Amino acid sequence: MTTTTTQPLLEAEHLTKRYEDGVLALDNVSFTVSPGQIYAMLGGNGAGKSTAINLFLNFIEPTDGEARIDGIASHRDPLAAKARVAYVSEQVRLYPSFTAIQNVDFFARLAGKTSYTREDYRQALLRVGLQPEAHDKRLKGFSKGMQQKTGIAIAILKDAPAILLDEPTSGLDPKAGREFVRLLQDLRDEGKAILMSTHDLFRAKEVADMVGIMNQGRLVMQRTRDELHGEDLEALYVRYMAGYMEG
Amino acid sequence: MLKLLIEKELRDAFGSTKFVVTFAVSAVLVLLAFFTGAQNYHTQRAQYEAAVAESMRGMEGLTTQEYMMLRPLALLAPEPLAVLVSGVSNDIGRTTEVRGQGMLVAEGSRYSEQPIYAAFRILDLSFIFQVVLALFAILFAFDAISGEKERGTLRLSLANAVPRGTYLLGKYLGAFLAMTLALAVPLLLGCVILQVMDVPLSGADWGRLGLIVIGGMLYLGVVLGLALWVSASTQRSSTAFLVLLVCWIVGVLVWPRASVLLAGRAVEVPSRDAIMAEINRFQRQQFEESLSSLMDIIPRESGEDGPSAEAIEEFQKRQQELADAREAEGSAFRARVQEDRINRLRVQEQWALRAARLSPATTFSLASSTLAGTSLAMKERYQESTLAYQEAFDRYLREKSGSSQGGGIRIMLRSGDEDDEPEELINLQELPAFTTQPVLFGDVMGHALLDFGLLLLFNLISLAGGFVAFLRYDVR
Repeated sequence: MTTTTTQPLLEAEHLTKRYEDGVLALDNVSFTVSPGQIYAMLGGNGAGKSTAINLFLNFIEPTDGEARIDGIASHRDPLAAKARVAYVSEQVRLYPSFTAIQNVDFFARLAGKTSYTREDYRQALLRVGLQPEAHDKRLKGFSKGMQQKTGIAIAILKDAPAILLDEPTSGLDPKAGREFVRLLQDLRDEGKAILMSTHDLFRAKEVADMVGIMNQGRLVMQRTRDELHGEDLEALYVRYMAGYMEG
Repeated sequence: MLKLLIEKELRDAFGSTKFVVTFAVSAVLVLLAFFTGAQNYHTQRAQYEAAVAESMRGMEGLTTQEYMMLRPLALLAPEPLAVLVSGVSNDIGRTTEVRGQGMLVAEGSRYSEQPIYAAFRILDLSFIFQVVLALFAILFAFDAISGEKERGTLRLSLANAVPRGTYLLGKYLGAFLAMTLALAVPLLLGCVILQVMDVPLSGADWGRLGLIVIGGMLYLGVVLGLALWVSASTQRSSTAFLVLLVCWIVGVLVWPRASVLLAGRAVEVPSRDAIMAEINRFQRQQFEESLSSLMDIIPRESGEDGPSAEAIEEFQKRQQELADAREAEGSAFRARVQEDRINRLRVQEQWALRAARLSPATTFSLASSTLAGTSLAMKERYQESTLAYQEAFDRYLREKSGSSQGGGIRIMLRSGDEDDEPEELINLQELPAFTTQPVLFGDVMGHALLDFGLLLLFNLISLAGGFVAFLRYDVR
C-alpha cells in the first residue's frame, strides 16, 4: 500500500513517560500515522505499546514530548483530541444489561453522533460480522469475540479520522480475525489513520503500511511495507528484540 | 451529553437487581410506616380523648368549697406527623398534673408505658431514610466509577470527548433520579393511605411532610455523592463498598451517639436527683415555717359556731398573702438552684448537636423531627404550654375561690353559716382548656433551615470531593 504524504493524523514526538515509581515506560518515541495508513506497533508485554495509546487518549500525561491527534496535543486539549479518535481496547467490555444495539447507540451518541438510525446501527454491526439475531440480545451472553465485534462497530460509528486499536484481534477466532483484517483495509481505504498495537506478526505484516517494533519503552525498529518486502518479519522481530536486549 | 449520561444511568439502573430490590423493600417499608403510623395516630387519639374525659371525670362532684382539690391534667395531644417522624414524641412525658402554682412534672411517656417499643424503637419515615435508604444509596453508587473501571467501560467512555465533571454529574443525577423514582410511588401511595385512613393533616402539615421528604432526598444525595467520591478514590468496587459500609456505620450508628457522650464528658451537668433533693429540703423547711406562721394567725376566738365569717375571710386573705410570698420565694429558689443545671444542660446540648450535625444522618434526623414538630423543642413547647395553662388555671382559681393552690400548707376554715349553705358543684365547663402551642410552619421551617443548608453543603462537599478524586483517577 502507498504511504501518503499528507499531514499526519497521529503523531508521537519524543514521547516519554516515566511513572512516579521511576519506571520508564516510554523513552523518546517518535512516529507518525497519516490518513489512509495503518501503523502496526509490535512488541512484548511491557514494551510500551499500551502506554503510547494511553498517552494519545490522555489517560496518562507525558513526562516529555507530545502525542498529537490531528495536530492537537492530547494533554493540552484532551476533549478536542479525543473527538478526533476512535478506540478499541484489548478486551472490549460493554454494558451487560444493554443489548448490542443499545450499547452502540449509547457510545455513538456519547461520541456526538446523534443522527444515526437503528438501521445504521444494524448495518455497522453486520459490517463487523455480528449476526442479526444477536443485535437485540443483551451482552450478558455474548462471547469475548462478539463483544469485541460490538466494540469495533462502536469505533466505526464514531467515524473519527483516527483509530487506536489496542490488541484488537485478541478475542477473535481465525475467521473473525480474517474479516477484521478486511475491515481494517476498508477503513484505511476510507482514509482513516490507524494505529494498532499487536502481538500478531502475521496480521501486522498482512495489513500494516508501517511496522514499528518496541522494546522496553523504545521504538527499536520502524519500517514501511515496501522496506519489509521479502523480509521475514518474525525473524526480524526476534532479532530486534534479542539484539536490543543484548545491546 | 449530561442528558445522555443520565438516561444511560437510569436505563442501567432499571435493568438491575438492585433497583428492583430497592423498589420492593422501600415500597414495603414506606407503606408499612404510613399504614401503621395512621393506625397508631387513631389509637393515640382515642387514648388521649379517653384520658381527657377521665381527667374531667376525676374532678366531677367537687363542690365550690373544694376548688383547692382541682387537679386538671394537661395532656399532650398526638400530632399527626409524629407518627411518621416520631423524634422525641415517644420519650417525653405526655401527662402533667397541674396545680395553680409550683413545679410541674410531665410523666407517662409512651416508651415508659410500653417499654417494648423503647427496646426496638419505631419504624418511621425518618428511620427508613436514615438507615435503610442510605444503605440502598450506597448500593446504587459504590461501583459507579471503580465498577466501570473493572468492567472496562470507563476507558471506552472516557476515550470520547466527555468531560470528567459531566460524567460524574451524570452518574450522580442518574443514581439520584433512579432512587427518587424507586421512592416516589410508595410515598404517593403512603399519602393516599393517610387520606383514606382519615389522618387529619392540614395544608401546612402536607407542606411539612413534603419538606421532610425533600430533606430525605437531600440526605440520600449526600450519601450518593459520598459513594461516588469513595468510588472515584478506589480502584476496586469491593474496597469502595467496604469503605462506605464503615462510613455508614460511623455516620448513622456511631457518631450521633458518640457526640452526645463526648458532649457529656466535656460539659458536666449536676444530677437532677441532687437538685430535687435540695428543692425538697427547702420545701420541707418552708412547710414547717408555713405551719408555724399559720398557727400564729389562725383565728383563736370561737363561739358556738366557730370563728366568724369576717375572721375567716381575714385569715384566708392573710394566708393567701403568706402563700404568695412563699410561692415567690420557692419559685425563686427553684429557679436559682436549677439555673446552673439548665445552663449547663443547654451548653451540653448545643455541643452535642453541633458535633452530631457533622453526620448527615443526624442533620437529616434533626431537620425531619423539627419539621414534624417532634424535635427536642417539642418538650419545651409542651412545658411552655403547661406553664401557660398553669397561669390560666391559677387565675381561674383566684377568681373563683380567692385563693391559689401554691405556697405550701393550707388550712381551710369554714364558718357555721357555710355549713347551712347548699353545696354547689364546680362547673367544670368553666375550667380553662389546655391547648398546646401549635407547630407553626414558618417557625419550624426557620429552625430546619440550618439543617437544610447543611445538607446542601454536604452535597456540594461530597460532589466536589468526588470531582477532584475523579480528575486524578487512573482509568487505565
